[in-house]
Amino acid sequence: MYCVYCGVKLQDGAAECPLCHTPVMHPDRKDGEQRTLYPDRLPAEERHGRALLVWILSLVMVGISMACLFLCLHRYHEVGWSGYVMMSMALAWVWVLLPLLFPRFRPMIFLPIDFACLAGFLLYICAKNGEHWFLSFAFPVTAIMAVLTLLGVAIFRYIRAGRLRLLGLYLMVIGASTMLVEFFAHITFGTKMFDWSLYCVIAFGALGLFLFVATLIPPLHAHLRKTFFF
Amino acid sequence: MKKQWYRLDNAALIFPAIIRKNWNNVFRVSVTLREEVDPEILNRAIAELKPRFPTCFVRLRAGFFWYYLETVGEAPKAREDYAYPLTHMTKKELHTCCVRFLYYGNRIAAEFFHSVTDGTGGMTLLQNLTAVYLELKYGKRIPREGRLVNPKEEPMREETRDCFLRCGAPGTIGRAEDTAYHLSGTPETDGFRHIVTGVLPTGKLLEKAHETGVTVTAYLAAVLAGAVGELQVEKGRIGKRAKPVKITIPVNLRKTFGMGTMRNFTLAVNLGYDPRLGEYTHEEISRLIGHQLAAETIPQRMAGRVTKNVEPQQSMFLRLVPLPIKNIVMSAVYALSGEKKGCLNLSNMGAIEVPEEMAEEIERFEFIIGVQLSYPNNCSVVSFKGKTYVNMIRSIRESELERLVFSRLVELGIPVEIESNAPNNVRQSEE
Repeated sequence: MYCVYCGVKLQDGAAECPLCHTPVMHPDRKDGEQRTLYPDRLPAEERHGRALLVWILSLVMVGISMACLFLCLHRYHEVGWSGYVMMSMALAWVWVLLPLLFPRFRPMIFLPIDFACLAGFLLYICAKNGEHWFLSFAFPVTAIMAVLTLLGVAIFRYIRAGRLRLLGLYLMVIGASTMLVEFFAHITFGTKMFDWSLYCVIAFGALGLFLFVATLIPPLHAHLRKTFFF
Repeated sequence: MKKQWYRLDNAALIFPAIIRKNWNNVFRVSVTLREEVDPEILNRAIAELKPRFPTCFVRLRAGFFWYYLETVGEAPKAREDYAYPLTHMTKKELHTCCVRFLYYGNRIAAEFFHSVTDGTGGMTLLQNLTAVYLELKYGKRIPREGRLVNPKEEPMREETRDCFLRCGAPGTIGRAEDTAYHLSGTPETDGFRHIVTGVLPTGKLLEKAHETGVTVTAYLAAVLAGAVGELQVEKGRIGKRAKPVKITIPVNLRKTFGMGTMRNFTLAVNLGYDPRLGEYTHEEISRLIGHQLAAETIPQRMAGRVTKNVEPQQSMFLRLVPLPIKNIVMSAVYALSGEKKGCLNLSNMGAIEVPEEMAEEIERFEFIIGVQLSYPNNCSVVSFKGKTYVNMIRSIRESELERLVFSRLVELGIPVEIESNAPNNVRQSEE
C-alpha cells in the first residue's frame, strides 16, 4: 500500500499517510488486526495548579492593604500604620506566594530575594521612625542570616553525602556568627560585648566539633569524598 | 554490593544543568524480536547484566561542585512502553535510575539519560541485554563476539573511563560559527513526540550514496539539508535574509581514537551550506557535506575540538565554583548559544552486526534521539539485516520536514516504507 501523494510505502492497516495525512483507502483492512507501533499508554501528567490559588490570595492581600490604606488616609490623612500592613503583605507575598508560582522552589534564587525584601521592610520601619539602627545592626544581621540560611540550604539540599560532618561545621559557623550579632548590637545599642553569644559559641561549637570528629571513620570518609570532589 | 560513583564525562556535564520542566536530553535504542517479549525473563536478564555495565546502571546525584553518577543498588524493572518514545525523564526518575527499560509486543527498548552514555554505548548495552535474554529464554549459547561481552566478567577499565581526557591536542579549535536556520512549528502541548520511521533498503541507499561519491551519512545529511533549505524558502527567508543550513552530525570518537569506553565519547560537527551564496542541487550539497565531513573528522581536528571542550572542566577556578552557580551559568550559556549552530541532528549509528545465532531471533534494531530544547526535529539512523531505519522525531504537529525528506528519497530512486506512532485505527476524516 503506497501513498498516492508522497510515493512512500505505508504500514499495513495505516489509515492515513503520516507524512502528508492523505487518507488511505484500504477496503481489505480489518480493524484491530494490526498491532500499532506504540501502545496507547501515556505518561502520568505533572500538574501545577497552584497559580489560581496564588492569584486569589494576592487579591485578598491587595484588598486588605487597600482597605487599611483607605482607612488611614480617611482618618489620619496620612499613610500611618497602614504602611506596616502593606509592607507586611508585600513581604508575605514574596516569601510565601511567589515561590508557588514556579513549579520548583529554587532556594538559591528565592532566598536572596526573600532576605533582600526583609532588609527593605526593616529599612522602612527604621526610616519611618526616624531611627538609625538599620545600617549598623539590621542590615548586617539580616546579611548574616541570609548567608547562614543559604549555606544551610546548600549543604542540605545540594549535597547528598557527608552531611554529618558538614552539619558539624555548620553548627560551629552558627555559633561564631552569634558573636557577630552581639558585636553589631554592642556598637548600635551599647549592649554588653560578647555576653550571651559566648554560651552560644560554646554550645554550638562543642556540638559541631563532636559531629565533625564523629565522622572521621573510613566508610563515611568515602561518602564525604564523593560529595566534595571537584 | 558496594556502590561506586563516577564523575560525569566531559560531554555529559552539560545535560544535568540544562534539564527543563518538560525536557531533557534522552535517547532510545530498541530491538524487535521474532516473538513476544517475556517481561519476567527480561527483568532477570537486566539484573544479570547490571554488574557487567556499572556505568550504565546509575543514578544522577549532586555534589557540592559537580554532579556525579552513582551505581544503583537494584537493577531497574522493565515496564510497558508508552504511546511515544522518550517520554520525559523527571528529575525524580533521574535520581532513581538514569536508564529505563521498556517492552511492548516483540520489542525491548532502553532509554538513557545522555549523561550516562551515548548511542554506541546504549546500543552495546542493548545488544548484550538481548543476548542474555535470548540465552535465558531459549537456552541457546550465543558466542561473545563484536560488542558482546561475557556478563560474568569484570568490566574493563577502559569501559568506565572518560576518554575525552585522554585524546587531547596541544592546540585547540575555536567554536565560532554562523547561526543556523531554525525550524519551528506548533508545539504539542502534552509533550507528545511524533515518530516517523522510514525503512530503506541499505543496498540501494549505499548504491545511491556511492554514485554521488559520498558516505551514507553525508548523503542523508544532504537530503535533510535540502529539505530544511526548502522549508526556509517556503517561510520567505531568501537571499540575504536566509540563514545557513547546517546539520549537526555526532561523530563516534571510539573509531577515531581506537578507544572502547562505555561512557559518552562522541563529538558533534555542524555541516551544511549557505543559501545566501546561491542555489544548490542535491548532488552539490552531498559533495559539499561529504568533503566537510571528511575534513572535519580527522583525528587532529577532533582532538583540537575535544581539548577546547575539556579546557573549562580543568580550570581550577571553574572547578571550585559551587554547583548551583555552575548550573545557572551553563544553562544560560546553553540557552544563548548551545543549539544555535545547527538546524537538526543526524545521528547515524551505522550497521549493527550480531552473531548469526542471535540475528535469527531479531527482526530489527532502532535508534531514536530526542528533540533538542530549541528545535523541534531530529533524525537518527541505524541499519540491520539490509534495511536502514531512518527515525525522524518531532515535537510539533507539522510533518512537513518528514514529507520533504522521504518523498525526496523516493524521487532519488530509493524506495521508502513509512511507519509512525500515530494511532492507525482512527481516520482523520472521522475525528
